[in-house]
Amino acid sequence: MATETAILAEGLTKHYGDVHALVDLDLDVKRGEVFGFLGPNGAGKTTAIRTLLDEIRPTAGRASIVGLDTHADSVEIRHHIGYVPGDLAMYPGLTGRDTINYFANLRGGVDWSYVDELAERLNADLSPKVGNLSSGNRQKVGLIQAFMSCPEVLIMDEPSSGLDPLVQREFQTILRELAAEGNTVFLSSHTLSEVQRVADRVGIIRQGRLITVETVSSLRSKAIRRVEFEFGSAVEPTLFEGIDGVRDVVVEDRRITMSYDGTMDVLLKVAMDHNDAVVDINTHEADLEDIFLTYYRVDGESSE
Amino acid sequence: MSTSVVAMTVRERWRGMAIGAVTLGVFFLFGMAIYKDVDLSFYEEFPEAVQVMMNIPEGAGVGSLAYGAIYGLYGALAMGILAVLAGASLIAGEERNGTLGLLLANPKSRVQVLVSKIVALLLLLAISTVVLDVVGRLVPVVLDVEIGGMQVEAQLFHIFINSVFYGMLAVFIGAWTGNGGLASGVSIGLMIVSMLAAGLLPLVEGLENYAKIFPWYYFDGSNPVTDGVEWGHIAVLGVASVVFVVAALVGVSRRDLKAQAIGLTMIDRLRANPMTQKMVDRVAGTAKASYIWVKITSEHQILLIAAAYYMFLVGGVVIGLFYSLLDDSLLKLSEQLPETLMALAGGGDMSTPEGYYTVENFGLMAPFIFMMVTVVVGARALAGEESKRTMGLLLANPISRSRIVYETMAAMVVLTAILGFATFAGTSLGSLLSGLDMSYGNIAAISLHLSLLGLVFGGLALALSAATGQVKIAVFGSVGPAVILYLLDAFLPLNDNLAGYAKWSPFYYYSGSDPLVNGMHWGHGGVLAAIAVVLVVVAVVLFGRRDLRQTG
Repeated sequence: MATETAILAEGLTKHYGDVHALVDLDLDVKRGEVFGFLGPNGAGKTTAIRTLLDEIRPTAGRASIVGLDTHADSVEIRHHIGYVPGDLAMYPGLTGRDTINYFANLRGGVDWSYVDELAERLNADLSPKVGNLSSGNRQKVGLIQAFMSCPEVLIMDEPSSGLDPLVQREFQTILRELAAEGNTVFLSSHTLSEVQRVADRVGIIRQGRLITVETVSSLRSKAIRRVEFEFGSAVEPTLFEGIDGVRDVVVEDRRITMSYDGTMDVLLKVAMDHNDAVVDINTHEADLEDIFLTYYRVDGESSE
Repeated sequence: MSTSVVAMTVRERWRGMAIGAVTLGVFFLFGMAIYKDVDLSFYEEFPEAVQVMMNIPEGAGVGSLAYGAIYGLYGALAMGILAVLAGASLIAGEERNGTLGLLLANPKSRVQVLVSKIVALLLLLAISTVVLDVVGRLVPVVLDVEIGGMQVEAQLFHIFINSVFYGMLAVFIGAWTGNGGLASGVSIGLMIVSMLAAGLLPLVEGLENYAKIFPWYYFDGSNPVTDGVEWGHIAVLGVASVVFVVAALVGVSRRDLKAQAIGLTMIDRLRANPMTQKMVDRVAGTAKASYIWVKITSEHQILLIAAAYYMFLVGGVVIGLFYSLLDDSLLKLSEQLPETLMALAGGGDMSTPEGYYTVENFGLMAPFIFMMVTVVVGARALAGEESKRTMGLLLANPISRSRIVYETMAAMVVLTAILGFATFAGTSLGSLLSGLDMSYGNIAAISLHLSLLGLVFGGLALALSAATGQVKIAVFGSVGPAVILYLLDAFLPLNDNLAGYAKWSPFYYYSGSDPLVNGMHWGHGGVLAAIAVVLVVVAVVLFGRRDLRQTG
């Protein structure tokens, strides 16, 4: 099984009656990569993941993980994966340690020293009952049970929900370490920034359809953001005219604000060449919806 | 009071109530139709004490049998249980689900919310009572049965107040503790104990007056179906209910609300104590989550302990002691009892210890308890895990779906085996202490038959759970048929032309051979085991095929 592909989906489709939750999904996630699966709520991320895990069966199409068919070989596949479901629920009456022990037994054992190491890194307490933990602390138990068997493929559905920023960073570090060792991470999220920090490539899904797969760097260059320049004196709205990717320009006296997708380099050159000093620059990320709109424009499709 | 809380509560609860009322109505129709075709002349020969115990009012016929036995016993029990289950979860249920905080974030006080919910519960109980009244009045007309001086409304009024009493008791305990399991356990326990006590104590000379300690006496002691409403008794239950409500309102306002928290068990406390921690961890800690079947078994230990306690102590030891206390003359008189009628209470000759055990426990109560345990396990194992959204996590492990089904069945086998052993031990002890000389082999046989019967309906719940992933469907889909199949087995033999059809009911294979008298019937036991196995296979196939549910 020396295939280079960790997760392969071909025409994966899931209909619930008239609702097309997933339409013709093709995916090819390579070994050793962190793949971000990005989309707004209800886009079909969880449907795709649950199909990969054989929790639900596709209406059409097929998928494989480490070369094994997700339906026919589903039990064998689960020797190779770790999974964190979205909106994680666990057994409230069991402690964290009991929970880990339960799943460890189902897997045929676990390295407890590694579990303790993970617990320490994520600052997790495994002794209280899961039902008495806050959602973030519960999430940590879920992460540990996914990491503990050092799986070849990690499938995580919005795994960092509820985690505080420090733990999120540690979590992302662990993901990068695992990928560096040749393991694969499939990570769904609805926040672009999280995916950008950790992923190599990103698939964007909306209304059940995969819109694009991009490397993070190209996404970053494409990703529109709001850019704001403040100059020493009043500025002309025409200053950035003609630059590819500049839209929605708004001028307020010395301040010019615009939407931009492209490399910052181009904008900065124009700003520096302007005969007035740049007092301040502000950029912030556009939200997902804006990014989808960009892709729809690129594809020449219209959003309904 | 808030009308929207009332409406919401009614919306959440009406189904259970409706199913209960309709089932009782069907039961009633069924019962009366069969009584009508049976010659009831033997009935006048009944000793008075037996009539009292079987809840058959004096000097009556088809009508009193139907009203007395069906409404007076099963109806009152069912209404009481429904009231308790709803009452126990009015507040505690929302705490467990973590929705109470959300509800109370609205500008309504705790008292307002609880009052609204209690009003909703009373409304539902009243509507159910009206439904039973309509059925009770309609069926005799349709069947052309003369019901004479039956005071149907008086009896139903007593049933209503009785259910309110137990419901409010459950509301009270739930409001103070936030523990729905405790509230329903205590209330249903009190109801059953007081029902047995109020029925049995008057039969023992010298103990007649002690029946008045038990609330059931105030429901049934005055024979409302013949003698009309006994306002004194109604007042006792009514005042007690009001006291419960007031106490509940005080309790719910005083204590800290739980935020979807998990109660501490005895084991948790021992575990938290450094002195006992090691020992407990070894015994209970890691063991309870070692395998799926161990985990399922351990999750139902409270249910198991309660059921085993009842089967051992009440159904086993106490019934034996009661039998030895019973008046000789009663036992002699009961020799004249017609077989057909005794079949109703599970068959058996009351003058023998075996017959007495059958009527008091093995006929109805014991199968009910075994089925309660297995149905709960079968329904919760798959569908429960899905509705709590843990199935995805469980199935992320390298285990097949069929293994979960098999291990669930294994847990069910373990639980019924323990319960069967408790039954055997308790009944044997009862027989020994009272010198009844029952055959231990036969006691073992009925215990095994019971376990197998439990596995049949547990298997049905498991199959429904596997097919639908919905706890409610699994529970109602197995309890409903169980009630109907029990009735088929109990009533059909009363009519010679229909007797053969009883073989279609699993209950026939449980009790048809009278294992307590005749010993193990391996053929019948085999039929039960085969049905259970088939249901497990069905469960595996159905569970393997479908999409897992994801609620929430």
